[in-house]
Amino acid sequence: MSKRIIIDPVTRIEGHGKISIYLDDAGQVTDAQFHVVEFRGFEKFCEGRPFSEMPGITQRICGICPVSHQLASARAGDALMAVNIPPAADKLRRLMNLGQIIQSHALSFFHLSAPDFLMGWETPQAQRNVFGLIQSNTDLARAGIRLRQFGQEIIEILGGKKIHPAWAVPGGVRSGLTEAGRTKIRAWLPEAYGTAQIALDLFKKTLETHHRELQVFGNFPSLFMGLVTPGGSWEHHGGKLRFTSSEGTIVADQLDPQNYLDYIGESVQSSSYLKSPYYLPYGFPRGIYRVGPLARLNVCERMGVSRGDAELDNFKGMGNGAVTSSFLYHYARLIEIMSAIEFVEIYLDDPELINGQLRADAGINCLRGVGASEAPRGTLFHDYTVDADGLLRKVNLIVATGQNNLAMNQTVAQIARAYIHGGAITEPLLNRIEHGIRCYDPCLSCSTHAVGQMPLQVRLIGPDGSVLQEVARR
Amino acid sequence: MATNPHLLVIGYGNTLRRDDGVGPLVVESVGGLCLPGVRTLISQQLSPEHSAPVSQAHTVIFVDASVDAPHEVRLRPLAPGHCSQIMAHAADPATILALARDVFGHAPDAWWLTIPAMNLDFNEELSPETRAGAGEALRRIQSIAEQFCREHGKNCEAVANIS
Repeated sequence: MSKRIIIDPVTRIEGHGKISIYLDDAGQVTDAQFHVVEFRGFEKFCEGRPFSEMPGITQRICGICPVSHQLASARAGDALMAVNIPPAADKLRRLMNLGQIIQSHALSFFHLSAPDFLMGWETPQAQRNVFGLIQSNTDLARAGIRLRQFGQEIIEILGGKKIHPAWAVPGGVRSGLTEAGRTKIRAWLPEAYGTAQIALDLFKKTLETHHRELQVFGNFPSLFMGLVTPGGSWEHHGGKLRFTSSEGTIVADQLDPQNYLDYIGESVQSSSYLKSPYYLPYGFPRGIYRVGPLARLNVCERMGVSRGDAELDNFKGMGNGAVTSSFLYHYARLIEIMSAIEFVEIYLDDPELINGQLRADAGINCLRGVGASEAPRGTLFHDYTVDADGLLRKVNLIVATGQNNLAMNQTVAQIARAYIHGGAITEPLLNRIEHGIRCYDPCLSCSTHAVGQMPLQVRLIGPDGSVLQEVARR
Repeated sequence: MATNPHLLVIGYGNTLRRDDGVGPLVVESVGGLCLPGVRTLISQQLSPEHSAPVSQAHTVIFVDASVDAPHEVRLRPLAPGHCSQIMAHAADPATILALARDVFGHAPDAWWLTIPAMNLDFNEELSPETRAGAGEALRRIQSIAEQFCREHGKNCEAVANIS
């Protein structure tokens, strides 16, 4: 008798998701699906708007990663105008994206994920959260909050506010870095370096006791995709795309994001509003690929900064070819934080950020433009088609969480296979499944972003539709 | 507290969703009054790092829109939350107070000033009811600020807007 386990809801805000786990007659897990059951419709209701409004509109998709949408949208606008933006504007956009990476990764590690693996899967809900972390390690909790504050300060200093800054525009940016802003950011650096190093040491120590999690939290072969520089270094804004196999070989390199339709397909499932992109030449579902920190570190050959490169060497030593365990998204995130701080320091020494020209001006020179940028969670595409007046005729957005959709399904299935035997649903199992999703830090999210008493409902349903077992957590 | 005693007024909400933005609008007005001893902070949503400036204040007022009954401007004392739940990229005032206490060592006296919201559509204009509530909220904040300054006398520092 086949059965289905449903976890619903997994989420609370602008992503209401649920998980279905399918069992065979023997009670063994056969498959799992992560569904997103909320429709947002940005691609449709943006039609008719001027392309110049899109950085402002699309950043409203999200309160967590508005900077990412703003930057990808501005790049798409650059392509429509067919301009090379001034070097200072490019560096300033990069500086803001680094701030975004730091603040978002700090949130993911310290606030969301660390309580799980530092306090233990069996720890009661009332303690396994950021307040529990505060009780057990106040200094670490404070450092995490302040590291996120550092990233937010960079965004605010450049854009005027932490959330939804109206700053990046087609052709460049609205304002540069002031001397006062540069001094303020520089003052944060020693503390930021210190916190990043503490977190790296802490997670590497955690790995010594988490062999099982390394094996079953999304450890499977897949492709990996991310931006790289022309020389194959880590890239987060601009650059070209590279696909790498789980054996560590380069499958495709220096692909122009403008032509992403030539190598990325989008599968649609009737059970979810989240599309499932795949590597087109391999077809669906064989073309499964992962994006985000783990993927970016797998596709690049070096970070391009000393502390980051030292950690990258250690990271790459954990894989046989590529690093395939999604539990190591956390480690990759911390390496990116450290590297981002190093890049911030480099940019602060650049006089062009204070005095350079900030904006190129042009009309519509191309009727279609694609902007790609690395959001904290993975590669983000904005694809706009406009008329001669710059009014949008078609919009396609490919977000990181969608690109990790197939991988999240496999991760949930792998964890469920490891811990469900005979259909029993336990609290530690729910905790592990939640964490399997959290490894990807999906931006759906408050399910995965709600630490502590995440509302969960798990139902075991027989083939006749009757509820065989129900576990609810409010 | 590292600074002179000050009253921190925090307005939060989405200014593109009509009445939901009343908190930021009220606090923007407070900032314009340049009240001695008063700092202001405006944000779309409360997030954990707000606990740092909150921990530095002597007293804090959180100004927010509310859809709950009764539909009137309400000023309530607020204590640090005991709930273990936190939305990690957004938090409620009681959670911010708890973080201020547990992470930064001080939870200030706190008030929660809520203004009834009637319309949360996409727009930047307040409904007439919420606009009236905003006026009343502003008067109440002025009253608290004046009392705060009387109590702290010459230690009242010059205005500084954080937002």
